[in-house]
Amino acid sequence: MPSLLKALSSQVGRKLLTGLTGVALIVFIVVHLVGNLTLFGPPDAFNAYAYKLHSLGPLLWIAEIGLVAVFAIHSYIGLSIWWNRRKARPQKYHVYSSKGAPSRQSLSSKSMAFTGVVMLVFLVFHIQAFKYGETSMTTIEGVDYPVKDLKALVINSFLDPVMAFAYTFVMMLLGAHLGHGIWSAMISLTLSNPQRSAAVYTAGTVIAVLLSVGFLFIPLYIYFTGGQGALIQY
Amino acid sequence: MKLDPKIPSGPLEEKWSKHLNDVNLVSPNNKRNMHVIVVGTGLAGASASASLAELGYKVSTFCIQDSGRRAHSIAAQGGINAAKNYQNDGDSVYRLFYDTIKGGDYRSREANVYRLAHLSNNIIDQAVSQGVPFAREYGGYLANRSFGGAQVSRTFYARGQTGQQLLMGAYQSMMKMVNEGKINYYTRHEMMDVVVVDGVARGIITRDLVTGELVRHSADAVILGTGGYGNVFYLSTNAKNSNVTATWRAHKRGAAFANPSFVQVHPTCIPVSGDYQSKLTLMSESLRNDGRVWVPRSAGDNRPPGEIPDEERYYYLEERYPSFGNLVPRDVASRNAKQMTDEGLGVGETGLAVYLDFRDAIARDGKDVISAKYGNLFDMYENISGENPYEVPMRIYPAVHYTMGGLWVDYNLMTTVPGLFAMGEANFSDHGANRLGASALMQGLADGYFVIPFTIGDYLAEAGVSTIDTTHDAFASVENEVQERIDKILNVNGDRTVVDFHRTLGRIVWDNIGITRNEKDLKKAITDIQALREEFWQNVKVPGKATNYNKNLEFAHRVADFFELAELMAYDALDRGESCGCHLREEYQTPEGEAIRNDKDYAYVSAWEFKDLNGKLETELHKETLEFEFVEMKQRSYK
Amino acid sequence: MSQMTIHLKIWRQDGPEAKGAFENHTLDTVNEHMSFLEMLDVLNEELIVAGQEPFEFDYDCREGICGSCNLVINGRAHGPKRLTAACQLHMRNFKDGDSIVIEPARAAAFPVIKDLVVDRSSFDRIIAAGGYITVRTGSAPEANSIPVELEDSTFSFDYAACIGCGACVAACPNSSASLFTAAKLSHLNRLPQGEPERQKRVLAMVEQMEKEGFGDCSNYGECEAVCPKGISIASIAEMRRNYVKATLAG
Ligand SMILES: Cc1cc2nc3c(=O)[nH]c(=O)nc-3n(C[C@H](O)[C@H](O)[C@H](O)COP(=O)(O)OP(=O)(O)OC[C@H]3O[C@@H](n4cnc5c(N)ncnc54)[C@H](O)[C@@H]3O)c2cc1C
Ligand code: HEM
Ligand code: HEM
Ligand code: SF4
Ligand code: F3S
Ligand code: FES
Repeated sequence: MPSLLKALSSQVGRKLLTGLTGVALIVFIVVHLVGNLTLFGPPDAFNAYAYKLHSLGPLLWIAEIGLVAVFAIHSYIGLSIWWNRRKARPQKYHVYSSKGAPSRQSLSSKSMAFTGVVMLVFLVFHIQAFKYGETSMTTIEGVDYPVKDLKALVINSFLDPVMAFAYTFVMMLLGAHLGHGIWSAMISLTLSNPQRSAAVYTAGTVIAVLLSVGFLFIPLYIYFTGGQGALIQY
Repeated sequence: MKLDPKIPSGPLEEKWSKHLNDVNLVSPNNKRNMHVIVVGTGLAGASASASLAELGYKVSTFCIQDSGRRAHSIAAQGGINAAKNYQNDGDSVYRLFYDTIKGGDYRSREANVYRLAHLSNNIIDQAVSQGVPFAREYGGYLANRSFGGAQVSRTFYARGQTGQQLLMGAYQSMMKMVNEGKINYYTRHEMMDVVVVDGVARGIITRDLVTGELVRHSADAVILGTGGYGNVFYLSTNAKNSNVTATWRAHKRGAAFANPSFVQVHPTCIPVSGDYQSKLTLMSESLRNDGRVWVPRSAGDNRPPGEIPDEERYYYLEERYPSFGNLVPRDVASRNAKQMTDEGLGVGETGLAVYLDFRDAIARDGKDVISAKYGNLFDMYENISGENPYEVPMRIYPAVHYTMGGLWVDYNLMTTVPGLFAMGEANFSDHGANRLGASALMQGLADGYFVIPFTIGDYLAEAGVSTIDTTHDAFASVENEVQERIDKILNVNGDRTVVDFHRTLGRIVWDNIGITRNEKDLKKAITDIQALREEFWQNVKVPGKATNYNKNLEFAHRVADFFELAELMAYDALDRGESCGCHLREEYQTPEGEAIRNDKDYAYVSAWEFKDLNGKLETELHKETLEFEFVEMKQRSYK
Repeated sequence: MSQMTIHLKIWRQDGPEAKGAFENHTLDTVNEHMSFLEMLDVLNEELIVAGQEPFEFDYDCREGICGSCNLVINGRAHGPKRLTAACQLHMRNFKDGDSIVIEPARAAAFPVIKDLVVDRSSFDRIIAAGGYITVRTGSAPEANSIPVELEDSTFSFDYAACIGCGACVAACPNSSASLFTAAKLSHLNRLPQGEPERQKRVLAMVEQMEKEGFGDCSNYGECEAVCPKGISIASIAEMRRNYVKATLAG
């Protein structure tokens, strides 16, 4: 029997890892969305949520290291798969086209690497802007000292049309990535029943759209309401 | 040449087991030093390669295709017989034996056929263990069906892919041994000739079809499992690469060729649609269970079939054979179809077809029932012909399907050249003048799995390890001959393509040595074949080089051999002054068109010895008289 | 009978090392009843008579069962029609005046031999690595002593139908041989006979598939769409499950 490492680096193992990390990322992104949507909650909710996270201390670091690892593994394998295909087909077809259903080739599946890379670049920028970005300080209920006013940071950022639309664009790409990704991860993680697979594909598309819309709603709403919309309470 | 069938003595049921007790064994140590060449990876070749390698022999296996799995056996649809009697309907080894002898119209050897029936059960066991997914019943046990008019249900089947599934079983076992290094596996290698030294087969010359290189291979024994020669007709249901080259070259090196004119024609094939037609597609005979065969009563009736009223339709099988009707055996159905088209009653654009009509069955059982039974076949028909058989009757026509003739072998499957064996469709052995449905697969596998592994041991134990290797002069000289032939073919540079010659040859053979034969046509065929062969060597145009992949060159060789075989087929058909099985001589039939077999003068196997080829094929007939100790010869009648 | 004119653009490559290029030909005697390969036969006959070299392409049975043919026609393996091998494709699926591009299957693991003929011996080696059930000739038990549930037997059969044509590889954007490999695994692993070697089989075949230089599977499902036997990619998921089980067991 092969060692676990060998098994994980085999074609099947690699695919299991993209699937696993993909699912982990989906979980992260769902939590992140829920957290972000507290922007539309009571005045302090968003900052309080962020504060709670930060106050986890070492636990957060561990989670963050884990997250970095997941992103790294996911991107590395995803891109190496994409890279490998050049080796596996040195000479391209002059004409190539899909034969249609039941093929799952779509704009979404064909652009995984592109959408992935854009997200990677986005992430660097995003973390720099939001995690390490400069913020004013504010107070929240139940905390005696000032905390970062992330809410203001986010809202101010999205008043800038470039930021708002760039984010919207990336969030659409996220939807595209997940349109194939959610179903694909299930197949990678050995979902083999054909009927269920078809149902998962539909469900995956719906979830992808919901996630994408959920995220892009934030910058668009802020931009178009100038941060003064009824949903945002100060 | 002396023909000694080497049939063991004793009661029929005990001959094989007795023989097994008597054969010599090779010690395990010695097996490792013995090298066996197997040409062909069909059911026969693949099963033999796997089994011999498991026994410990060094094996080299060759095939033309890019993988052993593509051998022509893959195309068999219907099923494989075995005397398991799972259906409790009274089947037995004896009954399978008897049906096969009778089906072959008493022109096969009792002992061989009995052994075949006996081994049939082991084949099913072996295949099931290999994972061949035969049809099963709800309880999980194997299902059977009745096939080709048999009275018992003894046919095992795997949807319409029985051949494919059986071949995969054998191929996979073979590939396992390849992986273990016990088999040298050569794909895209064509055997060009046998090397015979002092009357004993010592190896072969192959051509690497990718590089064109000629390669010598020496061995202690050579086994041919190279399939049938139906492609001599150009159009047949055989795969395009099926050929006679291996067996023909063996014939020219001393192996007798038996019953070359015994060719089975299958009645339910999709008819030819034009000159470009490259092969014919068979549809399962089961269609005749519900379809009714007819032609318009009057010649030149061009109305669409639906507009021809019943009284103007000639349901000729039902009228002529009231008790069997549309279910008469293959040869009878084929012969009658040809007669109809000869009389100008044929239908379709070419006039070379008869209707197979499901109108009444659909009216009786409903479209759903018919579709459940034949849906796949109807789809296949529609895909090829562009017509919907639920609405328009199918058009069918007979096509060449199987060749009973082949290299003469004794009970041990050895040809008249010591050390040279033949199995499967390549030998003449078990089917006499006509093969029963679902028994070719059985024979190929019986030969490969269960006969050859023992009989070759017997031969090798006696012959010992050969000291002749490829440096022997004989190898050089045979290789030279092959090279010269290649050069000769490439240098003709005439006007007509190989396919063109093949098509013309096929038409001569089909018209004259086909479903029915007569002396006048056969004699004419002989001169026509000789003339065309002459022209071939003066006027064939083969493009390309000998040093790379060149399909036309491959085919040119094979067609050249078909030319010689065709002449032999005519001699054989001419010699046999009787009608038996698939061989219908018009001179020997009753006024109603029934075959007249002549057991007094023709109860023999014709084994032809090659003498010379000089514009004309010089050949000598040897007869192996068939003794029937255990069954009584009866006249077939389907009236 | 309607005659059609067809414009062909066909790949010509002299040998494995040679650089290939397309060649254009027009055929105006195409009949709707011809099979695609017969159309190529007609072209080749014309070329030979005109003193040119014909195009080489693989074929044998011409009835969709041997898996020899594997042309990529207008960018689709086996052409436009689903569940149909190139040899069973008839010209009535094309229109008068159509242009058709014909290329060989392209994959590093399927090097071109000549023109449209490629070397698929990598498939043989994948099977050799483990695509079998070990049973010595003669050692098989009585066939009906191993009942197989109908559901398993049907499942197994659906995957045994693979003809090894390689269209899945040709069409896969990654040139993955996953469908071919998984089909054999699903055929053998589900049967009680195949049970004892199940773990060894999946590990060995997956390893060999990778060694041959096929790409990874990204679940594009194009392979299933072009497969003449409709092999489902469910088998690929099944292969992964068996792989996990085999790894954990080891
Ligand atoms: C359409 C069709 C349906 C059939 N259906 C049934 C059925 O339902 N039941 C049944 O019992 N029988 C059936 N048959 C008959 C049966 O399939 C064949 O008789 C049988 O498979 C022959 O097997 P084989 O091993 O002898 O040869 P083949 O399978 O023909 O194999 C020949 C092998 O020899 C190789 N070869 C040939 N020449 C050379 C050479 N010169 N050098 C190197 N290699 C060479 C080939 O590459 C190939 O590997 C059917 C036949 C056809 C055409
Ligand atoms: C950070 C940058 C990212 C890159 C470079 C990237 C890249 C890729 C690539 C190339 C694939 C296709 C793998 C294949 O072809 O088999 C893929 C699959 C996937 N990605 Fe990403 N991705 C990124 C981020 C994300 C994120 C943020 C998520 C989730 C929110 C995600 C979820 C998925 C899922 C679920 C799959 C399917 C996994 C599978 O097929 O098994 N990815 N990714
Ligand atoms: C409108 C959309 C988004 C908003 C408003 C948003 C907002 C934020 C904010 C405010 C932070 C800083 C949190 C902190 O410092 O604790 C953050 C961090 C982060 N965001 Fe987003 N985000 C959005 C979309 C995304 C997307 C699509 C991804 C992934 C692809 C993502 C990945 C991350 C990551 C990885 C961090 C760092 C988390 C950590 O280290 O704790 N974000 N985001
Ligand atoms: S899985 Fe389908 S496409 Fe792939 S080799 Fe098998 S039959 Fe061909
Ligand atoms: S197309 Fe290729 S990516 Fe996988 S699902 Fe099929 S092998
Ligand atoms: S030629 Fe056999 S499958 Fe196409």
